[in-house]
Amino acid sequence: MYSCCVCLLVLLNTLSPLTAEDLRQSERQRIEVIQRIAPSVVCVMDSAGAGGGSGVLISADGFAISNYHVTSGSASFLKCGLNDGKVYDAVLVGIDPTGDVSLIQLQGRTDFPFAAPGNSDNVRAGDQCLALGNPFLLASDFSPTVTWGIVSGTRRYQYPANTFLEYTDCIQIDASINPGNSGGPLFDIQGRWIGINGRASFEKRGRVNSGAAYAISVNQVLNFIDHLKCGLIVDHGRTDFTVESDDQFNVVVRQVSELSEAWRRGLRSGAILESFAGRQLSSANDFQNVVGIFPEGTRIPVVWRDRSGKHSATMRLGPLHAFRKAPELPQERRQNPPDEETEAEPQEQLSDDLQKLFIARDGFSNYYFNQLATQQLLTPLRMRLADTTPSAAWKIQLRSAEQDPGLQGELIVTADTVGLRLNDRSWLQNTAQPDMQEEPAMFPGFLIAISQLHRMLQKDGPAFDEIAAAGKTVHLPSGRALRVLTARSGTRLARWYFDGQEALPVALDLEPEAATDEIRLMFEGWKTWQGMVFPERLGIVDPATEQFRWLQISDASGKQESGK
Amino acid sequence: MKIRRRTLLSLAGTLLQPISVVHSHAPDTDTAGPQQVVVKLFGAGLGSLDSYGTGVLVTAEGHVLTVASHLVSAGFLTAVTSDGKRYAAETVATEPSLDAALLKLKADPSDQFPCIDLKSSLDPEPGTPVLAWSNMFRVAAGNEPVSVVHGVIAASVPLEAVQGKWKFPLQSRVWLIDAITNNSGAAGGLLTDASGTPVGLIGREIRHAISGTWVNYAVPLTTLRPAVEAMLEGRKLANSQPQRNEPALSARELTARFGLALMPAVLERTPAWVDAVIPGSAAAVAGIRRGDLIVLIGDAVITSESDARRRLAEYRPGQKIAVTLSRDEQLLELSLMVTAPTTDNR
Repeated sequence: MYSCCVCLLVLLNTLSPLTAEDLRQSERQRIEVIQRIAPSVVCVMDSAGAGGGSGVLISADGFAISNYHVTSGSASFLKCGLNDGKVYDAVLVGIDPTGDVSLIQLQGRTDFPFAAPGNSDNVRAGDQCLALGNPFLLASDFSPTVTWGIVSGTRRYQYPANTFLEYTDCIQIDASINPGNSGGPLFDIQGRWIGINGRASFEKRGRVNSGAAYAISVNQVLNFIDHLKCGLIVDHGRTDFTVESDDQFNVVVRQVSELSEAWRRGLRSGAILESFAGRQLSSANDFQNVVGIFPEGTRIPVVWRDRSGKHSATMRLGPLHAFRKAPELPQERRQNPPDEETEAEPQEQLSDDLQKLFIARDGFSNYYFNQLATQQLLTPLRMRLADTTPSAAWKIQLRSAEQDPGLQGELIVTADTVGLRLNDRSWLQNTAQPDMQEEPAMFPGFLIAISQLHRMLQKDGPAFDEIAAAGKTVHLPSGRALRVLTARSGTRLARWYFDGQEALPVALDLEPEAATDEIRLMFEGWKTWQGMVFPERLGIVDPATEQFRWLQISDASGKQESGK
Repeated sequence: MKIRRRTLLSLAGTLLQPISVVHSHAPDTDTAGPQQVVVKLFGAGLGSLDSYGTGVLVTAEGHVLTVASHLVSAGFLTAVTSDGKRYAAETVATEPSLDAALLKLKADPSDQFPCIDLKSSLDPEPGTPVLAWSNMFRVAAGNEPVSVVHGVIAASVPLEAVQGKWKFPLQSRVWLIDAITNNSGAAGGLLTDASGTPVGLIGREIRHAISGTWVNYAVPLTTLRPAVEAMLEGRKLANSQPQRNEPALSARELTARFGLALMPAVLERTPAWVDAVIPGSAAAVAGIRRGDLIVLIGDAVITSESDARRRLAEYRPGQKIAVTLSRDEQLLELSLMVTAPTTDNR
């Protein structure tokens, strides 16, 4: 049997026996790693210092990640213990109920120790791992308990099971995970943060370790982190089509909503989904896994195959649950409720400094943090617009960058109307009562988008019903990670993108009316013209090809509207 | 021992994805052979009995070694191989003294399966690091890799265990492992050493007879090998019948003690159909009717008429037995009181 010989040879060649010194060395390294990472581990308690779960600090300013099911039992403020033995006040910042993630901010220091994330896509079954946390609330001095194990599986899918908590693409481990570990970090053996331990297969032994526990991957957490920092109730995404596995390991599209972007791009029942968000698919589970790691509103590249060949497009994920308030968990899913002894403890009076860190508002986890994030975007914008004319009417000369079709014309924009003349044709849009028929067929929605830009660039501040920072996303087709500001006027939702360098937005996505394609603009070369700012180049995305068509601006001026 | 690949052509693959070269502290479990020889089993479950388990391919023709659990007794098994392909699996033979069952996948005769080679068995000592590969908790679906957990062989001992209230029939010495393998669906999975070399078959969800703790154990493949060979050749092992605490009740004893008659055993495995119930008897009081099918006695799955007579023999007058019946395509659980026999021919 020569495959046996092969094994022997390979054995002889590569399997050198471990020496005692090797073992001591590996033990020393493990101890060093644990000493390095333990200070970042948080013991999360309610505001009375009772109950508890775990968490992990992710930045020096005190932001820490935990499980939603750990913090959901608490009010807006919590107490957190670190392994320095001290207890810190913390405030709830953002929640991702579906992903079972919450973001809190510890107060009182600007030099908190924190964990550095690894890349959880590189985690493999068999990798050694370390779970740190506060199982059974053992650590009265808040030094975390360490359990060691291996990764038992990756890309696991765990059903919501009577709740909305859905674990997609998670890491399965055999390190001991017990009640109290929830929300605590999973590290690889080098001490890189790779997940949040949140769930385990509990069965006949009761709620204790069974050798099968699940950690939310750090890559998923990072997809949501900027949304969480904006104080949002972050939703997960869903597609407007369903899929099923066939016996050939294909993911087959089953139903497609006829009102959806997917339908308009030509996706139909029976098509075979090849990849989603760049990941190859071979089962419906694969699909569930990849959809589940993105926040609602993320635009995703999709590749599929049907009788007419291979197609690709991008599609925006819709909202999965659209929670307006933090949803309640069934009792058995909450973290250890405080026991009777601690329940009677009087609630500490919160200081004024602390209290101002929380503002309740529907649709937000903590509106205080949304205001902060929104102002971070709007304040530079307002400074940039300081020299413009207030309530100006715009007059802009433009022409197409490409020769074919060679377009030339003029845009006139006031608070209520947008007029466009291109070559011999003209359109006039009353933006209060938009009519899509008054839009150029080549760029449907363009006039409405320009009127939104006019609202955004008001010297006295943007003129929208509601404006809110909404995290960070990979903007398509540019492929850039950009901060998002959502602006609502009536039922219309615009997404403005900022790159953190330029005070003015770099892109705009807007759905002009329900069940129509978004108008997607990119702005390049912001320039101060007479009395106004406007980009020198304006790109319009063709939804069918994901290519830009560019318009060049030759002149622009903003003058006070007559009568204002 | 090593893993046999599908064809000699894939020998290069063996080199590229070595199973024996992995350092004992960092097993590369993604590419290791064990993933390819472990199959996920799906069958009939009921109540607390799971509808899924694990098995290990032992021949290239598609024979699968697993535990002789209720899944095997109930039949209608489906096996999912590591590439996600589904096969119907039929029972070739069982070996109760080792709690082993041999299945055969209904595959095309030309199909070749990756499998372990039982011939070059090794017996690692207690203290050896091991990996346990299984379909536990059905976490992995389709072609997803099965779960792997780590541990150490803690001891080699005779197993004194119970399943429900019955002594577990396994006669051989087993390895106790400090990994948690006593989990839903893990039984029949593969135990390997840290380099991926197969060494044992993961045992069932049973408790220790004295301490009542859930026992994590595996049966050494060196112990199973003669039984597998015998089952492949259609032989019975010497002394293969499990030792039962009680002999089966005869049909007359059954009627005398419970007022119950089962359909006579016309086939090797005649199901436990109720043929008659004496009015006023314990069976009648319990609500058992003619035509009922006895499915469970206590928490033991009843697969045949003789099985039912054997299980019922283990109860004493005054005890209450939970009997689960199938009637009109519905399951119902009744409580059967064991009365003193009205006549006793012993």
